[in-house]
Amino acid sequence: MDKFIEVINLTYSYRPGNGNEVKALNGINMKVFKGEFLAVTGQNGSGKSTLARHFNGLLKPRSGNVLVGGFSILDKNRLAEIRKMIGMVFQNPDNQLVSSIVEEDVAFGPENLGLPPETIRSRVGWALETLNIENLRRESPNNLSEGQKQLVAIAGVLAMKPECIVLDEPTTHLDPRSRRELLEIIIRLNREEGITIILLTHFMKEVVFCDRMIVMDLGEIKISGTPHEVFEKTTEIVRLGLDFPVATQLAAGLRGKGLKLPGNIITTEELIAQLCLLK
Amino acid sequence: MELTKNITLGVYLPGETVIHRLDPRTKIIIASVLIILLLMIKSYPAYAVILTFLSAVIFMSGIPLSYALCGLKPMLPVLILMWVFQLFLYSNPDSKVIFSFWIFTATDSGMHMGNLISLRVIFLFTVTTILTLTTSMVSLTDGLESLLNPLRKFGLPIQELVMTMVIALRFVLILAEELDKIVKAQMARGVAFDRGNFIQKTKKLFPVFLPLFINAFKRAEELIVAMEARSYTGGKGRTKMKTLQMSRVDLGAGFVMLIFSAIVVLLIITIKPQI
Amino acid sequence: MPIEIKNLCHSYKKGTPFEKKVLHNVDLIINDGEFVGLIGSTQSGKTTLAQHFNALIIPQNGKVIINGCNTADKNAELIKLRQNVGYVFQNPDYQLFASTVGEDIAFGPKNQKLSPGEVNSRVLEAMEQVGLDYNTFYERDIFALSGGQKRRVAIAGVLACHPQILILDDVTAGLDPKGREEILTVIRKLHFEYMITIIFISNSMDEVARLVERIVVLDQGNIIIDGATRDIFNQAARLGDIGLELPEVMDITTKLRNKGFNLPQAVINIDEAIESISADLLERQVGD
Repeated sequence: MDKFIEVINLTYSYRPGNGNEVKALNGINMKVFKGEFLAVTGQNGSGKSTLARHFNGLLKPRSGNVLVGGFSILDKNRLAEIRKMIGMVFQNPDNQLVSSIVEEDVAFGPENLGLPPETIRSRVGWALETLNIENLRRESPNNLSEGQKQLVAIAGVLAMKPECIVLDEPTTHLDPRSRRELLEIIIRLNREEGITIILLTHFMKEVVFCDRMIVMDLGEIKISGTPHEVFEKTTEIVRLGLDFPVATQLAAGLRGKGLKLPGNIITTEELIAQLCLLK
Repeated sequence: MELTKNITLGVYLPGETVIHRLDPRTKIIIASVLIILLLMIKSYPAYAVILTFLSAVIFMSGIPLSYALCGLKPMLPVLILMWVFQLFLYSNPDSKVIFSFWIFTATDSGMHMGNLISLRVIFLFTVTTILTLTTSMVSLTDGLESLLNPLRKFGLPIQELVMTMVIALRFVLILAEELDKIVKAQMARGVAFDRGNFIQKTKKLFPVFLPLFINAFKRAEELIVAMEARSYTGGKGRTKMKTLQMSRVDLGAGFVMLIFSAIVVLLIITIKPQI
Repeated sequence: MPIEIKNLCHSYKKGTPFEKKVLHNVDLIINDGEFVGLIGSTQSGKTTLAQHFNALIIPQNGKVIINGCNTADKNAELIKLRQNVGYVFQNPDYQLFASTVGEDIAFGPKNQKLSPGEVNSRVLEAMEQVGLDYNTFYERDIFALSGGQKRRVAIAGVLACHPQILILDDVTAGLDPKGREEILTVIRKLHFEYMITIIFISNSMDEVARLVERIVVLDQGNIIIDGATRDIFNQAARLGDIGLELPEVMDITTKLRNKGFNLPQAVINIDEAIESISADLLERQVGD
């Protein structure tokens, strides 16, 4: 796979210089590949958001660098191009919608790109269609549920036709059902539209569908690998204050009861298949 | 307690009436002319003409009258206070005394002044309410931007100002709802907002406004980041999805407004002012 | 201190073109010592209903009687009532305003005009109840707290008013797994150790299944199911119909049952699932 984002020795601290400097990122090295679904997890305050905000140059590194499609985020002349490639969706949908009408909000990004009106209209239509929210076109965000608002926010990013979408804990304010629906959409955007996805989350339910994941703690990457590889590192996961997927917890409990189950079960389907073998 | 219930300013009531369909620029111009006229009027007959005009507009727009006026309710105490002030404090040389007690004297010119100022406030409020109830914020700001655009030649940041307005208006409701929750959260901890003297009451607002401001700043900060991430760098190089288009209805409305203004101006010139 | 709701109706923005009915003829009784989960999808009316429990909303129609006192009564002592029925909001940022933890928790007792000594002992007690060490946290800056700690301060701020009933409105939303566990542990302790009646509002079936003894399910302003936790989960199909997600363990055991496993209907937590699955499989092996 092609390398898309490359993070080189990145460090960042908030309030540098005075007494209460907080080191948020400490020597991060990582790569994101074109078309992959990467999950970034870790407790609140582990540095996930700070890292994500470097991907499109919203924050500038104290030292080190981030390359996006070969361009450095420190290069001011390339910033507009980088932001066009990488869309971002944030935690609270209310704080990222600009306009009081859905369709106008979705148009905000393409308008900023200076596209001609017809192109903007067709992109807005396409984005709303892709996310199945055409019926909300003329609504006001104030009348929508949190889940719907978050879909509008994603549509607004999608209309800019990014190559990669970074989602910073997008399901925090959602109820469990909207959470599942949003996840399905993210997976679809990745598989059908070929969009690179970087999902920041602390819900293990959402992590199990990714291709690769990294676990952060205190501004450093502690574990990385496929979900299967990562969830086998039981003691480390516990130490980092994270959960296990329910299927993994269940499998561990059943192994304790003397059942012969493999150690790398993370999804419901895997667990059921293995249990059926024992029957 | 629902704080957002009586806020009608900035609320859009969707509809398909003629008033709704007018180009926002037409509506802004008409509203501005009405406001200028209102600031010039000093006699009751002219107000009667405006009243007729506004009644017709409200009727045509399909807004329930009670709803169009309910935004005035919270302003009522201020209006009454203002009226009383005018009644006792304003007088001109040939005014007649209605009654007096202690050091206060109420004159007829004071009463007229009070009436006219109250009417002016009520009408100004109604004009802006009708405008916002029938025009979505987005088209309102589109219209404003298009009308003010010539001023950009003088270096005024029109697009940025308009964007600021769009956002402010989007957050009015959000913050009002937030205020409602904060008030309830503190009521749940035993704050009695309706008790105590002025100083005590003012002190009680502290635990309400502090969280409100902190949250508002937090929201603003997040919004700025989100806008930046969506490639916003100010008005330069921005295009618009929608382009405004005037139609025959706008022409008609302009014509009606012209005749109406002529009548009002005529009344202003010919009728001797009440004060 | 029982709460009795009779025929309660409520409309949002009543009398405006935006009027929307949120509660339809709700009847409900909550008795002393209960541990109730109030559950429903977003906009089902949970919060509106719960805010009637401590007179933050006065009924438009119908009656709310708390400890024999009708909240719509002109002589009702609402301030006193709100001390007895505590309400913790979802977002602690709506509530916290003082600069230090101790100061914020003291706000409620101070409103009750207690003596400084009494206020201090209330703060001490409330901090103990939510598991915040007095010496470490009393002077701590509120803005330097983690999400889970902030929620605990918010709960302590309400506990310091000495409520007999505590309403917790979606207090785990937005927390990471560790923060969530902290809060759930505190809630359990408040009920089982300090004997506080708890009304726990949530839209997560997982949490409710792990915590409460009785569940009230709201859908579009109507109470559609009300009963003991286990009985509720026996009606899994109905819960799915109104858009609630079943606990993940239940999803797994249901799928296993369809594959021919012999498991009970309502398996609501991981321990039960481990027990019943292993029992079934071991029995089969013995049978062979």
